[in-house]
Amino acid sequence: MKRDNNHLQPNPDPSSSSSLGGGSSAGKAKLWVEEATQQDCGMDELLAVLGYKVKTSDMAEVAQKLEQLEEVMCNVQDDGISHLASETVHFNPSDLSTWLQSMLSEFNPPSSFDPFGADGTATATALDDSFLCGPAESSTLSTLDFENNNRQHQKSGQQIFEEASCSDYDLKAIPGKAIYSQNTQTQPPTHDSSSSSTHNIVKPEKRLKSSSGSHSDIFPPPPPPAGAASYGIPSDSIRPVVLVDSQENGIRLVHALMACAEAVQQNNLNLAEALVKQIGFLAISQAGAMRKVATYFAEALARRIYRLYPQNPLDHSLSDVLHMHFYETCPYLKFAHFTANQAILEAFEGKKRVHVIDFSMNQGMQWPALMQALALRPGGPPAFRLTGIGPPSHDNSDHLQEVGWKLAQLAETIHVEFEYRGFVANSLADLDASMLDLRPTEVEAVAVNSVFELHKLLARPGAIDKVFSVVEQMRPEIVTIVEQEANHNGPVFLDRFTEALHYYSTLFDSLEGSASGQDKVMSEVYLGKQICNVVACEGVDRVERHESLTQWRNRFTSAGFSPVLLGSNAFKQASMLLALFAGGDGYGVEENNGCLMLGWHNRPLITTSAWKPANNTSPTSTITY
Amino acid sequence: MAGSNEINLNECKMMVPLNTWVLISNFKLAYNLLRRPDGTFNRHLAEFLDRRVPANVNPVGGVFSFDVLIDRGTGLLVRIYRPATGEEPQLNIVDLEKPVTAEVVPVIIFFHGGSFAHSSANSTIYDNLCRILVGTCKAVVVSVNYRRAPENRYPCAYDDGWAALKWVNSRSWLQSQKDSKVHIYLAGDSSGGNIAHHVALQAVESGIDILGNVLLNPMFGGQERTESEKRLDGKYFVTLRDRDWYWRAFLPEGEDRDHPACNPFGPNGRSLEGIKFPKSLVVVAGLDLIQDWQLAYVEGLKKAGQEVKLLYMEQATIGFYLLPNNNHFHVVMDEISKFVGSDC
Repeated sequence: MKRDNNHLQPNPDPSSSSSLGGGSSAGKAKLWVEEATQQDCGMDELLAVLGYKVKTSDMAEVAQKLEQLEEVMCNVQDDGISHLASETVHFNPSDLSTWLQSMLSEFNPPSSFDPFGADGTATATALDDSFLCGPAESSTLSTLDFENNNRQHQKSGQQIFEEASCSDYDLKAIPGKAIYSQNTQTQPPTHDSSSSSTHNIVKPEKRLKSSSGSHSDIFPPPPPPAGAASYGIPSDSIRPVVLVDSQENGIRLVHALMACAEAVQQNNLNLAEALVKQIGFLAISQAGAMRKVATYFAEALARRIYRLYPQNPLDHSLSDVLHMHFYETCPYLKFAHFTANQAILEAFEGKKRVHVIDFSMNQGMQWPALMQALALRPGGPPAFRLTGIGPPSHDNSDHLQEVGWKLAQLAETIHVEFEYRGFVANSLADLDASMLDLRPTEVEAVAVNSVFELHKLLARPGAIDKVFSVVEQMRPEIVTIVEQEANHNGPVFLDRFTEALHYYSTLFDSLEGSASGQDKVMSEVYLGKQICNVVACEGVDRVERHESLTQWRNRFTSAGFSPVLLGSNAFKQASMLLALFAGGDGYGVEENNGCLMLGWHNRPLITTSAWKPANNTSPTSTITY
Repeated sequence: MAGSNEINLNECKMMVPLNTWVLISNFKLAYNLLRRPDGTFNRHLAEFLDRRVPANVNPVGGVFSFDVLIDRGTGLLVRIYRPATGEEPQLNIVDLEKPVTAEVVPVIIFFHGGSFAHSSANSTIYDNLCRILVGTCKAVVVSVNYRRAPENRYPCAYDDGWAALKWVNSRSWLQSQKDSKVHIYLAGDSSGGNIAHHVALQAVESGIDILGNVLLNPMFGGQERTESEKRLDGKYFVTLRDRDWYWRAFLPEGEDRDHPACNPFGPNGRSLEGIKFPKSLVVVAGLDLIQDWQLAYVEGLKKAGQEVKLLYMEQATIGFYLLPNNNHFHVVMDEISKFVGSDC
């Protein structure tokens, strides 16, 4: 077992510096004792604090890789380096060892590789061998096929200049509305007799029998769902807050809201009622985002106090309209679709038949862009099957079917073989894999997609676990998840209220600078409904149970999934997408251990992550959390 | 060339703990990828690679933090770090700007480093450093997320520093009980040290009192090639070539390194004689190639009759203050805490 002793060497005598004051030697001694007791198999704690995950036992090897890269970069011309910066896709810079390795591989392409990406077969001994070899023997590096390096290997194995073709893959920002054809004919598309097969199938919508939800007593705070208890909400959770300068942040208003929420928490309804009225008065004199946020929170508090619970679920056509406006006005949904599609596109590389199962079908706005990107794929598009899942509509309209028809029309114009089926379900937990007509993995690759849907499952005990197991049965190449980056599912009402107040204040603030008029109002109403649900509802009706990335990571890894990393290309294009939005300066993308977060003024608001069932892959040594 | 490189790497590795070497070498590597020969900067990749942390109103290690947008027009954010008083496990938004209670509370306005182009206030290395400063100095720290080069050249960073100073100075909740004034110190490392100097200059002209400047490996330069630059070029993580690149990226187009922003006591500099410039603590690393400029800065202050203390850390390289695994770190933190605690 290699043990690195360098960091235990005492530093050169500091007393040689003439102008020093007295140092604290006690502190120094204590620190070095701590270092001496560090476990070899553990992470270097000091680097971990700074955001880098390097095992103490790997430190010397990581240093070796840095030296090798330095050497190589000195010898290679400028082209080589600029290629690393502009063409190469980087992943998870926190995992230093893997990141450095992937760059070294760029300069030493493996002599043979499997383009269909065999799973990682690295062993500890292979790692040691490479450490001993100098750059000249770099062909041994080709055997270091970590799972998350697979895609990088595929890319680096090609000629360096072929990298440019990656940009054809990458999705461009395409506004949702423009894609739909104006033609509203409802007859099924005729077969195209031209050479490319455009054989579109839109199957009749299946309606699932849903388990009926009972209305339990809503008011007292319910115990957390069984699933949550087993995963545990971390006690050291992070609570980011961004304030806007004092003038705008309505501190008196916030005081009143907090006091009211506290009264509700303590079941002091008379006081709560008095305070809610006060909030109304204060809100009128407040400007900007804070006024609107306060109004929605006050309304939600009033509903809770007076037990006037909002109708659940919403009238479908209204919620569609709100959703559409939210999509257009601000970048959140577009970011979600864009980053998820990027991951799906990469997962589908080389596959001839693909199947996307969308848990969040709505109006299908995510799919035109993916279909177009698939159509432009070098080598031609795969056959594309889409299964859209959504809640039932009250007016008995076949809204999922309509969406399917529209997408079929698009598919025809871009010559992508298309198949569609819609499923209506009250809850994702009503799904079983057997209903989906899944084909063997060798024949058809599956992606599961969920945008702002998964958290709703946390309202019923066992639902999330059922869905995880069904997803595993689908044997997906990738599972893309987008969720709100917040913990609105804590057991204590007041904590949830506080979190939500910070969160939605930031969200509303971001809307202020963007579109004006009706679009903005609609978006605010859309968000207002979420606020109402978080604050006024309980039990199975409280579906807006947002949880943070840390919490979702725990759930996914406990359920047997391993992360699929999102890289620098998705990051860059998401950043560029954001720049298109008016008032977009405050938006920023952040990379977090392979996930991408969209934030407003450094406060993360939504997170895209990607997963894959871990059962068929050998565990990698480099991904640890 | 390869041979001498090897010598450089080995020598360098002997002077710092291995994990420090890995950390700083990693930055060096990443930064090499980001600087383009034509003077442009790969900002997207820079943002992707930079390790960041969000603010956190939950106290960690006795410190909590929150961000404030102080200028919507320029998007100027500051991150505020405060010591947790220990009473409440959960802080509310109303508690964040609660008035400080002690007789004297130093408020350190911190400018992160990165040679004017890299890093942010929420970069993990700087979030970490600011938290340490809160504990060591019993201070409130305000870290400024100033605009960076090459997209925003001189004087943007100084303007943002000045805006932050005015904002801090006007917060009633930051006033010390003793005299109802905000007790302000300016601090920064690398480019941040340079910014601290220039913001202090502006403060003097505008009548805002700064109690002291703390400059950690401050970034200065000039047209001339000094002895230390020639001797240490490429030896300890930093090259003259990259220094030149950053100055070209920050200074107005067409200006050379004798511009007063870069060389405050050079041919185009101004004399500080007779003005009420704050006392300075200047830390110079003995293995930093620009030390001759830093030492010249100290001399310049002395000649102008200004109070300055030099801490020359002979065996230290750049970035020694990022990890607490060396003696220089502890010595410097000690000195800073004494410096900041000296007016009570």
